Amino acid sequence: MTNPYQQHDAGSNIDPLASGRLPPLSGRRPSYASVVSGSPSSLARPTRSGAFSHLLNPSPDSEQQEGQSSDPRFEPGMSYTHDGGLGGEDLSARDDPDEGIGGGFWPPRLGATFPYFSRAFDLYVGKDPLLASDPTGADDARFPSTTPIPNVSTTGFLSPSYLRGTIYLQKLEEQHRARVLAEREGTSSNGAPPPPSSLGSRLSTNGSSSHLPTVGMKATGTAHRGVAYDIVEKPPFPANEDDTASPLPSKWNKDDKEAALEVLGDGYEVRHTGRASSDHEASAIRADHYMSPACGVYYFEITVLNGRHDKIKTPPIAIGFASKGTSTSRAPGWEPDSWGYHGDDGHSFASQNVGKPYADVFGVGDTVGCLVNFRLNQALFTKNGRELPIAFKDMGFKDLKGKLYPIVGLKKKEDHIMANFGQRPFMFDIDGYMKRQQGMIEEEIRLADTSKLVPGLSETDVIQQLVLQFLQHDGYVETARAFAEELHAEKTALQLDPQEPVKGISIRDDEDAHNRQRIRRAVLEGDIDHAMKYTDAYYPAVLRDNEQVYFRLRCRKFIEMIRKEAEHNIMLEERGGSHTNGRGPTSGDNDDEEMLEAEPGNSNGFNGAATATNGDGDLDMAMAEAGEGGGNGSDPAAGLSKLSQEALLYGVELQAEFAGDSRRETVKQLDDISSLFAYPNPLKVKEVAHLLDGSGRVAVAEELNSAILMSLGKSSRAALENVYAQTCVLLESLRKDGGDGAFVTVGSVVRDIPPSRLR
Amino acid sequence: MSSWSAALELGELDVDSAFRDAVFSQLRESFDRMNSTTSTATPSQHAFEKRAADVKAPKSDVNALILDYLTMEGYPKAAAKFCREANLQPQQPDTSIQTRQDVQHAIHSGNIARAISALNELDPELLDSDPKLHFSLLRLQLVELIREANGGDPTAAITFATENLGPRAAAHRDFLGDLEETMLLIFYPLDKLKPELAKLLSPDLRRNTAAQVNEAMLLRQNQRREAAIRQLVRMRAWAETSARSQKKDLPESIELGLNGDNAESGESGLEPMITT
Repeated sequence: MTNPYQQHDAGSNIDPLASGRLPPLSGRRPSYASVVSGSPSSLARPTRSGAFSHLLNPSPDSEQQEGQSSDPRFEPGMSYTHDGGLGGEDLSARDDPDEGIGGGFWPPRLGATFPYFSRAFDLYVGKDPLLASDPTGADDARFPSTTPIPNVSTTGFLSPSYLRGTIYLQKLEEQHRARVLAEREGTSSNGAPPPPSSLGSRLSTNGSSSHLPTVGMKATGTAHRGVAYDIVEKPPFPANEDDTASPLPSKWNKDDKEAALEVLGDGYEVRHTGRASSDHEASAIRADHYMSPACGVYYFEITVLNGRHDKIKTPPIAIGFASKGTSTSRAPGWEPDSWGYHGDDGHSFASQNVGKPYADVFGVGDTVGCLVNFRLNQALFTKNGRELPIAFKDMGFKDLKGKLYPIVGLKKKEDHIMANFGQRPFMFDIDGYMKRQQGMIEEEIRLADTSKLVPGLSETDVIQQLVLQFLQHDGYVETARAFAEELHAEKTALQLDPQEPVKGISIRDDEDAHNRQRIRRAVLEGDIDHAMKYTDAYYPAVLRDNEQVYFRLRCRKFIEMIRKEAEHNIMLEERGGSHTNGRGPTSGDNDDEEMLEAEPGNSNGFNGAATATNGDGDLDMAMAEAGEGGGNGSDPAAGLSKLSQEALLYGVELQAEFAGDSRRETVKQLDDISSLFAYPNPLKVKEVAHLLDGSGRVAVAEELNSAILMSLGKSSRAALENVYAQTCVLLESLRKDGGDGAFVTVGSVVRDIPPSRLR
Repeated sequence: MSSWSAALELGELDVDSAFRDAVFSQLRESFDRMNSTTSTATPSQHAFEKRAADVKAPKSDVNALILDYLTMEGYPKAAAKFCREANLQPQQPDTSIQTRQDVQHAIHSGNIARAISALNELDPELLDSDPKLHFSLLRLQLVELIREANGGDPTAAITFATENLGPRAAAHRDFLGDLEETMLLIFYPLDKLKPELAKLLSPDLRRNTAAQVNEAMLLRQNQRREAAIRQLVRMRAWAETSARSQKKDLPESIELGLNGDNAESGESGLEPMITT
């Protein structure tokens, strides 16, 4: 195995319980790798990190990391060992799907080790409809067919298609990420060498002063991890025990079975080894986790794999679900709290050993599914993709004391099944089933009585009020006025008696609204300086009292500087040919000089700017370090454009000003924006481009607006936002036990809106 | 002031010591972070309110809801202004919103003939493909004719009904009841109607018919037929009803936060701020 990432990946992707047995998946990995590495966007290189990070993390070690296209220290064994401590899931590196995936390529700080995790990372970005407005919901794209197990991410997160978009799965994702991150951090803090990653991540994308060869990379990951935190830190609900989602069954539990059974390979297959079982006994095995009612609907399938030579085409195999307390030496369905469908006679068994004729027999080559609908308190089975009748109803599944586990029972030697816990597409159209469930609830919602929301107001009235109130509250003065006029015209038209005057809606021409609108405009246009100036003039206390808002504005200013420069560079490139040629993943890494986008005639501007801002020392150092770091004798600083010099300076100031602020959000934000400096053109790197996105302006503008409103003693949010939040919480209470709330989200409503981009 | 800025200002940057300082301060901070506990609970609030307060409605979502509403329900001027003020791209061209507003306005004002001709101009197949909608419009037109007659000569209304509505009701039996009900208006004085008949004369019939027509126009443009904010509001109402029927722990009433929820609803457009 030449590619260190293969092994690495195999370790992360398969069942730890079975990992000793096989790496059958790893053999297929290279195809995935090569597919991804072929991507044109792998141009992203950590170019300017040299200039910036060396400035901030001047350490001799860092030089060693430069310019090694195949770092001998990063051999498979080491990488694996290192990551082994992290449970094989190195979260540090989940952000850059397209970077350096080709394997042999070793840019020290960014990229090289990122590839597979990136997919996992994708899982979490823009996924939560409550938090991010990723309206596409194009989930399937995240699971390319080249991945060996389609619905399992590279960090081992199982995402069955029919549960995507549900809050339950979102919670699992958040928990999964948090756990892997925690493991990672736990590992580093237990290690002997003090972890520099925290500092490194704060100050740059390159934490370079460590004994660990991989630290640079880890620190980088930390910087990127900031993005991930964005989601983790803002789950729709504050974490408490109620909100913990129980993990999905994902494999057979080799510690919860009869001895006669053997779990094969990746944990999906079970085989009967032949130890005899008496006529009344069977050998059963349960899955590793119970079916959480919070799913709303749970579904799994088994396929009977017995050999063709088998004389009995319908061996005594049973599928079902049972609580933990039931004996594994009895067939599913024969005991209290156990339900099953038996292949040899086609009977269903509901907690007793007398069955009822239910459906066809099943056997070799058949795929049989088990579906539990917690909302309707029903269970049914499927055969080869066909839905069979309801097998059990009114069972009170969700009220059972014991949790219910997927279970399968085998009886004869060589009986052999393979389960699909959602890791692959199912034979049965469970997505369609789920959609029908959702459709039923959406229909209920469509018919909901809205008259009690605000007594005396019809739905249309309530909505008009909500909109109007929002517009005024948030200072959209012109819109509020236009809307009021149009509403007035509508009311006049509807007025039957022309004598009766229609009550006008007067939009108060209040100065506050104008001021707030002015400040908002400035932020939305990226003119942070003016926004701060206006704020100081109109509401002098706001920035002083709201440090966090002040900080966000300052960060946004930095981002705008980077953005300006990036746009400028794109313009230059378009005009003057390509700078980016040869920056592909295989081009080696001694092209630093090229990445420091030289702007002719400006090479002296650097020191000028430095003097102006009283920062001689650091800039000299920046030049020195960058030069060394580049390792090729060029003077990168000479190539820095004026824009990036200013941004660099501002960035250093910003880091310095908030160096004492240990709040997580601050640290994260500084991490994020520092990482921007690591790319020749962050706008072209999709992993960070979102940081530059205009939507960030909206967030800052609204935060500032809220702070101003608070300072004026007004509610920080409009009624419409209350409606949104209340609905989220109400739905949450309805989904705990698998009720209707499990099938709908507020996010799905918003996602119906065609995306409207910022202009 | 951190060691960083200090070093920068002195212009003498002892790189290693500054770096080390920063590392140590960083470590101290992370320890502090680990030990610190945060507690910001306000005891008087119901748990539900607390949880709701913790949920952030992303502004991008809220802005999208607003623009979607203004666009879908046909408020072209407000939609255009909102795009400008919120820095958004229009969801639909102004003219499309304007057209729908014009048709709705005609219906709101009781000028059904104009609405029908505008609709036919916009999309000749729309009414043909939707007999139910066409019938609703014609019936509204009949109501307007009866209203105009106001107890006087009902000939125009009767002629209109026999020519336009009768044949349709004959073809679609389920329209018949509606037609018969409407015709009753002719035989009673308009100010002494039973409530179920009086409701035909209320502006709500115009409003609802206009909304139906708007939905139909949106559907013909391959769009969703109603604004997402309606779904949200219904979801909110439905979720509360369901939660209460399941005896979930909720405050007695959950206020939307519109100022003057009931008493001063006429004023609520004015100064909707509430202080908390």
